[in-house]
Amino acid sequence: MINIVQYELEIWGEMCPIPLIKAQRKLKTMEIGDVLVMETEHSCTSRGIVVWANKHKYEVIETEVANGIWHLELTKTHK
Amino acid sequence: MIKSQRKWNFAYSVFVFMLFLTLLQLNKNIAILLALGIAIGYTLQKSRFCFTAAFRDPMITGITELTQSVLLLMGISVIGFAAVYQISLKMHYDLTLYVMPFGTATIVGGVLFGIGMVLAGGCITGILMRIGEGFAMQMLALVGVFVGAFWGKISQPFWRQTFGERPGVFIPDILGWIPTLIIEILILTALWGLAKWWQNKQLGE
Amino acid sequence: MQKFWKAFSHGPWSYWVGAVILGLLNIIILYVRKRPWGVSLNIEQWAMWFASNLGFITEHLTLSELLSSDGTYLNLGVVLGALWSTLLASQARFRPIRYKKYIISALLGGILMGYGARIAYGCNIGGFLNGVASSSLTGWIFGGAIILGVWIGTKIMIRFLI
Repeated sequence: MINIVQYELEIWGEMCPIPLIKAQRKLKTMEIGDVLVMETEHSCTSRGIVVWANKHKYEVIETEVANGIWHLELTKTHK
Repeated sequence: MIKSQRKWNFAYSVFVFMLFLTLLQLNKNIAILLALGIAIGYTLQKSRFCFTAAFRDPMITGITELTQSVLLLMGISVIGFAAVYQISLKMHYDLTLYVMPFGTATIVGGVLFGIGMVLAGGCITGILMRIGEGFAMQMLALVGVFVGAFWGKISQPFWRQTFGERPGVFIPDILGWIPTLIIEILILTALWGLAKWWQNKQLGE
Repeated sequence: MQKFWKAFSHGPWSYWVGAVILGLLNIIILYVRKRPWGVSLNIEQWAMWFASNLGFITEHLTLSELLSSDGTYLNLGVVLGALWSTLLASQARFRPIRYKKYIISALLGGILMGYGARIAYGCNIGGFLNGVASSSLTGWIFGGAIILGVWIGTKIMIRFLI
């Protein structure tokens, strides 16, 4: 039984591209299958993370939870 | 909870439309340019286009999607500008292109501009777009841009006198139109290939 | 149709779609304005106007000259268009600064950018994109310098802002 851990990353109000650098660093410390949850109000940041995750073939779900606020769930699917 | 902002949008649309109609009465050219500016702002926001990210992301994350798109934009502009310029010459339509003088100030200015746009989170166009999006940080950055532009204008003579500057070089004057276009497109294609290679290399790790 | 409208109003569009539309708009502006699209020259004129009103300099453009200059409306249009884009997608909100470090970074970055753009006679758009599009050597030189500057800026950012 794999234990899935959900991490939260504080990127609220950070300027592009600092959230992505933080996510990259956090992801290195995580096990495969772990989920990283982020929330941002910056449209470009959200899009940047989605494009980056897709290119790296990580699973990513982007939902708009409120007006102009995006909720991101990034699953580390591989090393 | 997403609340619809339809009412705000309606009021705002009316306002923009009135502004457009007023300008149309005063000066047709300016009204058209306002409409084109609005179209640019809309496109920039919707496609999350960012010139800063195009320069910066290859160095940080290795993603060059935006870089490739900027190169595509430049390729379209190069061909389009050449076509419009040729047509305007034939039709005696008075058109100026941006052929600016260059010198040490161009290089120093470019380096300072590059540092500034990373720190401020957008180039000047990006700042204007993000002000429209409602970012307080970029509103503050615009104040900085005003101060910097004033200071820059005042120190233009200093740079000109101390380091000198050469008159702008219009490449077609030297090489002719067709070779210039071929060379420029080849360079842009090469950069595009380089960006793609860089991304694959970064992803391959 | 409804699907198209949803994609049109909410996006995000692919980067290359944006590039193609911006390229076409750029060419149309060249034709209409008889000059390529530029941003920073107009910003400079407004800065000079503010400075003269504060008493730093004497010679400047008058307000009516500024209000009838086409660059003002292009810049205003970018702001209005971006706001329209967020309102149409119901994504408009005020996004305040949440950390003090960004106050310094925004002001310093803005000043560097304004200064750099004006001593080089152009920003990313008028100097680099349309400089290259005008087949001017200056545009290519400026582009190379920007790459160097961004590299330095990235180092500063990673060192101080994270």
